[in-house]
Amino acid sequence: MINSIEIQGLTKSYGDFALQDINLTLPGGAIMGLIGENGAGKTTLIKCILNLVRRDKGSITLMGMDNLRQERQAKEEIGVVLDECFFHDNLRPRDVGAILAPVYRENWDAGLYGDYLDKFQLPQNKLIKEFSRGMKMKLSLAAALAHRPKLLLLDEATAGLDPVVRDEILDEFLTFICDEEHSILISSHIISDLEKAADYITYLHGGRVVLSDAKDTILDSYGRVGCTAAQLEDIQKEDLVRVRRGTFGCEALVSDRAAFHRKYPGLLVEPIALEDLMLFIGKEKSK
Amino acid sequence: MTGLILKDVLVLNKTMKTYILFLIFYFVMAIVGLFSIAFITAFVQIIVMILPISSFAYDEQAKWNRYAMTLPLGRRAVVRAKYLFALLMVLIAAAFALLSCVALSITAAEPVWENLATGLASLSVGLLAVDVTLPLNYKLGPERARPYLYAIIFIPVILMVLAARMGWLDHLEQLPSSLILPLLSLIPLVILLGLPVSYWISCRIVEQKEF
Repeated sequence: MINSIEIQGLTKSYGDFALQDINLTLPGGAIMGLIGENGAGKTTLIKCILNLVRRDKGSITLMGMDNLRQERQAKEEIGVVLDECFFHDNLRPRDVGAILAPVYRENWDAGLYGDYLDKFQLPQNKLIKEFSRGMKMKLSLAAALAHRPKLLLLDEATAGLDPVVRDEILDEFLTFICDEEHSILISSHIISDLEKAADYITYLHGGRVVLSDAKDTILDSYGRVGCTAAQLEDIQKEDLVRVRRGTFGCEALVSDRAAFHRKYPGLLVEPIALEDLMLFIGKEKSK
Repeated sequence: MTGLILKDVLVLNKTMKTYILFLIFYFVMAIVGLFSIAFITAFVQIIVMILPISSFAYDEQAKWNRYAMTLPLGRRAVVRAKYLFALLMVLIAAAFALLSCVALSITAAEPVWENLATGLASLSVGLLAVDVTLPLNYKLGPERARPYLYAIIFIPVILMVLAARMGWLDHLEQLPSSLILPLLSLIPLVILLGLPVSYWISCRIVEQKEF
């Protein structure tokens, strides 16, 4: 099966910040969650994929198509929802449909667009300026799905939405992914959403990929060790990914819970949630 | 691309309707002899000048261009749509100016050729504004490009006043009208030819731009 996204050696520098040597693969039929702190490079990565910014090095293929040489063909197969609604306030959902229909030509499914508007309870004739943020994001999603894309790119699309709307949108993603040819790359700060929906997690930190694997593999293998400073000294440094030293004790992140437990049976190693893992890597310096 | 032109029309729908109402009002006033046709010729210039620039301001407010670049159109098509929208405005304004000149020559016995020349000059200034401000809007954004629009309006006026004061235009009346009219009609032609150059510059700017 062709991978939905393949990124190799991607580099993009802004002077004070750079995406460095990004390698990433999103297989078909999967959801990849892109996590990382503000300014870690998530949006820049999505912009590089969409050729909104010029990359310095590397290659990106989308459904097997080069994102520069076959940009238009690739974009026919992509639905995009970015962190805000880009439709003018004085337009109405029916106008958005009329604008996008000639853009996607035969791929645009006006009936499907109407179905999504009904499903999301978005009135066709209401001005977008009267929409709540949740409604605007649902409209963006309806517009992104109505040409039946194979890949959805979502940049903080659920940020600022209440849990009910977020859950509705996540359900829509899960329905979309039922087709094995469909995939989603979603960047989000709401880790609980990604824990619920994502198959793969890629963690960007300081412009680099520090972790990219299947979510279950990460959750099954990574762990947190709680110990004293003296116990920490007895652990070999290569067995630890990150270390956090506090007044009352120390914590360490390990990448292979089972192996660690076999090697140090006296120390308690617990499973770790994605959010804690992100805090470990994001807040602490390397061991 | 037609989708993008339609977007501009829909976004500026209310403004365009207001402008058309103004045009109809001025036209009626000119027919009954209360207003001069100059109101119409000046207003068609405003339409040609302001509407494409307004569409930039609306796009900027919605951050539309970032979204447009995610669509399967290519950067040049986004620019092309904006120029075609501007041309559409020129065509509508020119059609109205022509209609007004002909109608007024019939009803009010106004000099049709003189009015047409005024209308053409007015449209030319509008089109010149399009030629210059569209690339500037792409380069600088609508806020920073606005002062240049004022410059396009005022600099020719200032130059003409200065030329008149210096006495450079004194002999203009002595020139035969058979020479003046073809010379004057060259100006809009040159400005119209400037449109592809302006389009090419805008494309170059947008191709280099990051969104």
